[in-house]
Amino acid sequence: MERAVYPLAAMVGQQQLRQGLLLTAINPAMGGILLRGEKGTAKSTMVRALAALLPEIEVVRGCANACSPRPNGDRCPECQRRFPVLESVTRRTRLIELPLNATEDRVAGGIDFPRSLKTGRAVFAPGLLARAHRGLLYVDEVNLLDDHIVDLVLDAAASGENRIEREGISYRHPARFVLVGTMNPEEGELRPQLLDRFGLCLEIRGCDDPEQRVALMERREAFDRDPAAFLAGYRQESDQLAGQLARARALLAGVRVTARLRGFIGELCRENNVAGHRADLVMEQAARAFAALEGATEVSIDHVRAVAPMVLLHRQRDAQQPPAPPPDGQRSDQQSEDTSSENDREQRDKSQPEDAPAPQTQPPQDASPPPSPPADQTESNDAGQKPEPEQPQETPSPPTAGRDDQLFQIGSTFRVKPLHAIKDRMVRRGSGRRSRSRIAQKKGRYVKSAQRPGEDLALDATLRAAAPFQRQRAESGDGLAVRLCEQDLHTKIREKRIGNLLLFVVDASGSMGARGRMAASKGAVMSLLLDAYQKRDRVAMVTFRRHGATVNLPPTNSVDLAGRLLAEMPVGGRTPLSAGLVKSHEQVRNYLVKNPTAQPIVIFITDGKSNVALGEGQPVEESLRLADALARDRRIRTVVVDTEEAGLVTFGLARRLAGAMAAQYFKIDDLKAQALVDIVRGQHP
Amino acid sequence: MNNRPIYPFTAIVGQNAMKLALMLNVVNPGLSGVLIRGEKGTAKSTAVRALADILPEIPMFGDDPYQLDPDGEFGIYQEIRRTLQGESAPKTLPETVLRKVRVVELPVGATEDRVVGTLDLEHALKKGEKRVEPGILAQAHRNILYVDEVNLLDDHVVDVLLDSAAMGVNTIEREGVSFSHPARFTLVGTMNPEEGELRPQLLDRFGLCVTIEGIRTAEDRVAIMERRAAFDLDAAVFAARWQAESAALADRLLTARALYPEVKVERPLLFEIARTCLEVGVDGHRGDIIMLKAAKTLAALDGRTEVATADIHTAADLVLPHRVRRQPLMEIADSVQALRADAAARLH
Repeated sequence: MERAVYPLAAMVGQQQLRQGLLLTAINPAMGGILLRGEKGTAKSTMVRALAALLPEIEVVRGCANACSPRPNGDRCPECQRRFPVLESVTRRTRLIELPLNATEDRVAGGIDFPRSLKTGRAVFAPGLLARAHRGLLYVDEVNLLDDHIVDLVLDAAASGENRIEREGISYRHPARFVLVGTMNPEEGELRPQLLDRFGLCLEIRGCDDPEQRVALMERREAFDRDPAAFLAGYRQESDQLAGQLARARALLAGVRVTARLRGFIGELCRENNVAGHRADLVMEQAARAFAALEGATEVSIDHVRAVAPMVLLHRQRDAQQPPAPPPDGQRSDQQSEDTSSENDREQRDKSQPEDAPAPQTQPPQDASPPPSPPADQTESNDAGQKPEPEQPQETPSPPTAGRDDQLFQIGSTFRVKPLHAIKDRMVRRGSGRRSRSRIAQKKGRYVKSAQRPGEDLALDATLRAAAPFQRQRAESGDGLAVRLCEQDLHTKIREKRIGNLLLFVVDASGSMGARGRMAASKGAVMSLLLDAYQKRDRVAMVTFRRHGATVNLPPTNSVDLAGRLLAEMPVGGRTPLSAGLVKSHEQVRNYLVKNPTAQPIVIFITDGKSNVALGEGQPVEESLRLADALARDRRIRTVVVDTEEAGLVTFGLARRLAGAMAAQYFKIDDLKAQALVDIVRGQHP
Repeated sequence: MNNRPIYPFTAIVGQNAMKLALMLNVVNPGLSGVLIRGEKGTAKSTAVRALADILPEIPMFGDDPYQLDPDGEFGIYQEIRRTLQGESAPKTLPETVLRKVRVVELPVGATEDRVVGTLDLEHALKKGEKRVEPGILAQAHRNILYVDEVNLLDDHVVDVLLDSAAMGVNTIEREGVSFSHPARFTLVGTMNPEEGELRPQLLDRFGLCVTIEGIRTAEDRVAIMERRAAFDLDAAVFAARWQAESAALADRLLTARALYPEVKVERPLLFEIARTCLEVGVDGHRGDIIMLKAAKTLAALDGRTEVATADIHTAADLVLPHRVRRQPLMEIADSVQALRADAAARLH
């Protein structure tokens, strides 16, 4: 379907973005571009506009794969068979869009069912990777793409070839494409491995100049009113741009880089601590493209300087400032990519530096104070005095209100180690990115099939089931090569990551206030909350102090709300751990009644020094007994984060608590993703 | 389905912001939807249905599941036929019929393939033919798509939804199907903020946002009860009583639609829009663009061809509150005045 696309030539401002896109169109060897930026900055519009400016290429007529007719080009099996009798046609380089909802078989390719049935042999239906060969593959919101689709794209991008070995097909074809992606960093970061595949990276912001904003509104209005007339109005400028591009592309092959300049590029990359050598190569290609755009035949130092920021932005490992800290306090792990690893999934979780730099711990403090604490807050404050959250203080703060209440800032946040629910065989629905689960949706990876009716048919298994009966059923004479009956039908069993309920049970008693432990604990909870936002979990929070426990936040999707409550949470009084256990058990039980297949994860943040019992007995013994009761439900996963300070005299009560529940046990520092690497390397006690 | 009259739009008591936002979207679908935040039982779905009821009928091909417009989308009709059925495309226009604008509901439990559309695999296997089951997005083309509790919808469904809403096209790339069809609709979402907010990214895609509450004055509450009772007693009589007002409103909407392309904006007012957006701090430029469109639509609704300053202020209240760059501890503000006051206070 053809639609009028807003022209690149009519773009207001955004000089860098325009330049980056032009470079992408000039030199595919540079490896594509990633546009990061706030919402509503015309990222997607501009990429679509780029498609109109791409060069013409020669392809084999009728080849879905856009194979080159030249003798030395890569060829798909079909063209290989017909070689050397290949008819060629010329057409514009394609920009293929990969929608977020694309399934694995549409991306990599799969069986063409109707044709296979008619002909009786497996006919391969090429996917998006085939269509993107020698073109651009565009992923909007690339950071929201499902992990298993990312794997396919990465694999093809790395090898230049797409290999399909599933559902009874074995097929391979060349797939060399340029990746173009857009993303909003607020929604979560990209995997480093994927990030590195993008040659250039740009940070896009809206313009602050009213003059420009007005011009932008005027143009957009004119475009919406009459797209055709608008395009005609910009025809001349568009043609000019296209001409400039064509000249640059013709020039590109002849653009030279001196050895001295190569040295400079290498130096620049080394200074910026980039991982691997891709940055050097990309920078050289980008500089050549830029020189060609300027009409030069030799790369100058200015050309290198002009493209360097775009090449380095997403590769530097010690950027002073993380680009554009997202407004909701998420940390951006942009500056810490490890690009050289192959098994990036594990790597991703380990490769982060220890503590996030200071700026990322700021948002909660910087924020303007809320008008008033939410209603539940007053409940938990049985002394009747409200804390005053608006004090701009250092960590930890002096007491601000209440007899013995203290308010602590949220300590530094960090990237947390992955926490998952236990894998089982329950089928669930939902989205998110935490735990792997069987899934009752047509989404996720096809792991196996089962004989049962349903919509999500597994072709391979169905055909295998039908095969033995074909001779017998041959009489029906409906012209099909394969005949199926109800009992042949197999459906797919799929697996996907989904979100969980994370219930935070936070100890807010006086003992937690000692020596800034609370700030560190809050930092740990905040880190877990940020992780929960990106993995799309539901969260809930219970705090206990003085004589009882309070549900501060019933299960909700709003991680924002949890963060706010955390910032306002006062500390003081004794430690009614038992009450906390009872209250959290109650919450989880209610949740499980409503969502029987859920797998809640209960996270205790405490030093375990229980000193208020519910009944007559010993507080510590009582809490251990209750903990044991909580853990009896196998659906509940428990985690204990021990906040007790390491020292000569430790009680180890939190560890006993964890033991009673068979919980995962962490010290705050162990929770950091980096700590695991340190332990492996023996750097950590 | 049934011939029972629908509660008339004009008989809804109060909730003026919501009614205005809905009317604006009907006049100008380019405003990309309304998000209605508020409690249960505040006449949200009644209002949407009632508004659809008074809209003029739209023409479409008799048997077309994609509800294409005979006037201008015949080419697409042919293309879809060709891709899906492999049959030679019909050369002449098929019979067209007139149909009421529908309110298509997206249930909270809707799966992605119900929304996007999918291949009927069983049919393909047994008959060796491709048959695509069009999804909710196809049904919603040129209609109103009503999403109740949009904040409880699965994230990926919302992503798909907003993507089509923004592009006006739905692309299916799954299970051996690869094709696209137009999907331009008026998106109406409702949510109860107590159940959690929408992600900022999704929030931004809704053109307008109104916050509604139950009506507080006793007289109005009594009026609501009386009217409802009268409607339940005899719906036909009740509807007839409001007939004249409904017709007048329908007329006004049509006039506004015709007038909209004529509406002009003076340059200083554009600067006013840009300054407002900069002052309250919104991400990107979608706020500016939607605010301009909303102001123009307001003028058209008022029968004017010239945007006034008051239009811009009204538009700001509908367009900006949910777009303001929020700190983690901030609620969505109720009015733009408050936001500007805040911004000014921060400066001094």
